Amino acid sequence: MGYLFIAPYLVLFVAFVLVPVVWGFFISLHNWHVLGEQKPFVGFANYRALLRDDLFGIALLNTGYFALLTVVPGNIVSLLLALGLNARIRGENVYKAIFYLPVILSVAVVAIIWRWMYSTEFGLLNYYLKVVWQFLHLPGEFQPVAWLNSPQTAMPSLALMSIWWGAGGNMLIYLAGLRGIPEEYYEAARIDGAGTWGRFWHITLPLLKPSLLFCLVMSLIGSSQVFGQSYILTGGGPHYSTLTVVLYMYQTGFSLYRMGYACAVAYVMFIIVLGLTLLQFRLLSARQEE
Amino acid sequence: MHLVAAGFSLRSIIVICLLSLLLVSCSPGKHSRNVAGSEIRFWNGFTGPDGATMEKIVKRFERETGIRVKMQIIPWGTYYDKLVLSLAYGGAPDVFICHANRIAEFARYGVFRPLDDLIEADRDFDPSDFLPNIWRAGQYEGKQVGLPLDCHPQGLYYNLKLFREAGIVDAQGNPKPPETWEEFLDAARRLTKDKDGDGRPDQWGFAFTWLRTNWITFISQHGGSILSPDLKRAALAEPPAVRATQQMCDIITRYGVAPKPEGFDSWMGFRQGRVAMAIEGIYMLSSVEEQKGLEYAGASVPSFGPKRAVWGGSHLLCMPKDLSPQRAQLVWRFMRYLSDHSLDWAEGGQIPVRRSLLDQPRFRQMRVQYAFAKQLPYVVFEPASHKSTEIMPFYDAAIEAALLGIKSPQDALNEAARRIQQVLDRP
Amino acid sequence: MRVSLGRTMLYLLMTAAAILFLAPVAWMLVMSILPEHEIFQPVPHWIPQEPTLQNFQEVFKRAEEAPIMRWFWNSLFVAGTGTIAYLLLSSMAAYAFSRLEFPGRNILFFVVLSTLIIPGQVTIIPVFLILQKLHWFNTYYALIVPGLAGAFGVFLLRQFFLTIPREIEEAAFIDGCGRAGIYWRIILPLSKPALATLAIFSFLGGWNDFMLPLIATNEIEMRTLPVGLTIFLGRYSMQYGLVMATAVLATLPVLVMFLLFQRHIIRGVVLTGLKG
Repeated sequence: MGYLFIAPYLVLFVAFVLVPVVWGFFISLHNWHVLGEQKPFVGFANYRALLRDDLFGIALLNTGYFALLTVVPGNIVSLLLALGLNARIRGENVYKAIFYLPVILSVAVVAIIWRWMYSTEFGLLNYYLKVVWQFLHLPGEFQPVAWLNSPQTAMPSLALMSIWWGAGGNMLIYLAGLRGIPEEYYEAARIDGAGTWGRFWHITLPLLKPSLLFCLVMSLIGSSQVFGQSYILTGGGPHYSTLTVVLYMYQTGFSLYRMGYACAVAYVMFIIVLGLTLLQFRLLSARQEE
Repeated sequence: MHLVAAGFSLRSIIVICLLSLLLVSCSPGKHSRNVAGSEIRFWNGFTGPDGATMEKIVKRFERETGIRVKMQIIPWGTYYDKLVLSLAYGGAPDVFICHANRIAEFARYGVFRPLDDLIEADRDFDPSDFLPNIWRAGQYEGKQVGLPLDCHPQGLYYNLKLFREAGIVDAQGNPKPPETWEEFLDAARRLTKDKDGDGRPDQWGFAFTWLRTNWITFISQHGGSILSPDLKRAALAEPPAVRATQQMCDIITRYGVAPKPEGFDSWMGFRQGRVAMAIEGIYMLSSVEEQKGLEYAGASVPSFGPKRAVWGGSHLLCMPKDLSPQRAQLVWRFMRYLSDHSLDWAEGGQIPVRRSLLDQPRFRQMRVQYAFAKQLPYVVFEPASHKSTEIMPFYDAAIEAALLGIKSPQDALNEAARRIQQVLDRP
Repeated sequence: MRVSLGRTMLYLLMTAAAILFLAPVAWMLVMSILPEHEIFQPVPHWIPQEPTLQNFQEVFKRAEEAPIMRWFWNSLFVAGTGTIAYLLLSSMAAYAFSRLEFPGRNILFFVVLSTLIIPGQVTIIPVFLILQKLHWFNTYYALIVPGLAGAFGVFLLRQFFLTIPREIEEAAFIDGCGRAGIYWRIILPLSKPALATLAIFSFLGGWNDFMLPLIATNEIEMRTLPVGLTIFLGRYSMQYGLVMATAVLATLPVLVMFLLFQRHIIRGVVLTGLKG
């Protein structure tokens, strides 16, 4: 009877998760072009080629850079927002909704909104930066930032947009975690003479460990998969500065139709993310034992 | 779950879901299989006025032969994606257009049906009527896989009014387009003017439009090339190509007769009379024709270097490999018809590639095409390597970096050469 | 009641943050009703001088090359059918994992669970090839079915089902209700909150999904809204009022859903986070 209930789901699971995972690895061991009649087995040649591949190296660095710019700063933003909400301010639900709203938008909508915000000439960001510059009477004339058009600022632009997009999600989890900390702990700490910072460091953070772990891991996995932002807004440019691993994989598989190589890219990324996730688990749970 | 409350049983819900999925699978968007019957399926990317011209020729073919042709126009942006997937998974057309620079890519995977047997059997078809360098563009490993329909080389577009104003005219007072590097530089200098005295030119003697194709013209004229003749080595970082790239940079920075290709729509600039000369393909003809008040003419590209060369592209007609013999015959008739009538096709702003047609008075009257066609014997295509499209982004990036002054030509080309070599070395 | 300085500061900061977060979305709405001459201005017109619906009209005029209503319908159909199917399949599997005994149950569950950490992109290429082999390319099957294999729903529902007291089921058993009946008439109704949450997330996921529709279709009438939006952006990027209007059209259903089911959504996120 159990099999009957599980069969429909299981069929799809095998067909669209298990088989692809295994077959993907199999494909990566071949020279597999969509048009080729022959798809010769080449062993680990694709992986060896990846090691020498300039663009893959750039994509890895870019993805790592993106992760650096979004995982920790993004979670800090989420945590700060959660701390603010935790103080039981009035209109809490309104604030919560506002911060969470971006999460439910599609990447396409986010990209369209921010493409305009980042416009050098007409964008909101440059306009308000100019306003602030003039307000603070800073010397000289405000130089508009090139945002998406300059190799130095393109990736940070994508990162900022992504932080805005995702902060609300983790905020809710942190808020739930914060609410789960009993008031008595804080009382006890106050009696012992601990100040705000001390309470935060010795009570809040340690008790938030599970939420922190979860959010950081999910953020890391999420940021490794960044695709839509660079595909839609920059196409990997300017000058490859926003070429991410998934975008590289997509271009290899769906512009060049070299499936074997693209699968190799996917697998290497998978291994790296897996490794980082396990590392994170170990680090954060080791600290828990303290 | 409200459905449950309303009394629907589990079974009926499942049935409804399955039914709707079934219903929906009969929706449009399924690929059609190769229809047996005498209808020829023809794919191309000719949107706009090109498409209208082709449509007319196709209709005449239908009338004269009674063979039906179903033409599908897919914008070039998604054309090759759809073509590749249809060739791989079904639904491929019977005849399709392929650009010269992608022939090798497709041919490598045996996608084409070679035309040699059909050419042999066709007694009044003479391959030598075609210009040899263009006929060769349809060959792969000794087999003829594509029939060249046209060639679209670059040429020099120049603004007659601005030339006259600057006094660059011949003995009869007609504007005289430059033919050598020195003449070009001289003309460009005289045509670059700062009219409102703000220190920046408002009228430019020249502007780079499509960087990649302009660059290929320049390096070829210096004897350089992107790949070595055996297609195994990246050659774009060698002295001739570097010299040519430096020359392009000099035009911008040292001589100041062209704007930096950044934030400036060069082609628009030519159309609006702010740029006096531009090197672009014949396919831009309709664009200048429709610009009211623009007095323009076409000429051969000046000689920037010791060799005569100019970038060009070509549309070739190709067949997929699993056509039945009868179908192949039918399609060959269609391909021949298009080729024989390529003067009609030229009306839309293309250039035929058959010597017998190029000689005709009717073609002579197509002034700009005729002027550009003089360059056909030394047209240069992108390298005939199956990795040609894959390496394009690398030299595109190098050209941009060099022309924008981000890197020196040698550094930019070195980096591109290294990356291209990685791709070439791959099995 | 004195409001302390710290408290005021907090309110100020939170309000400032709220404004910053809301601004981009608000701007999207404003810009969609700005006429062209008010868009390309150095100073942003937060309050339109001449608000117009022209942008929306123009969007529909371009239906030939950019069939937005078709995309809307595709997204609705894919997300809707997908959600119903997902709920059904996941709940059945979750029921089996939580209540039914069969050999290999725990190993199977572990395998399913472990796929949660596999990033979707790892399998996208083999999935594409499988879709081609099945001749599902450019059909609704390709847009709906791959998403049904996700392990998240199974995991969430199993955890929830485990919290339902066994006594209720035993009572039903004694009354002669079969396993299927228990599933349909007892477990499901008791799981309404979890199912509702899952339904909302599944719908949102299906509505917003970008990569799968991108690779599962290339006929323009089979595209979903997010992919269609980017096609629009690519083609009409100079007419940004139009582009913003399409973004508004694509977002309206989601915004409405959000305003209606806000509490559910927020509670759901917390639920999944805690379980995680």
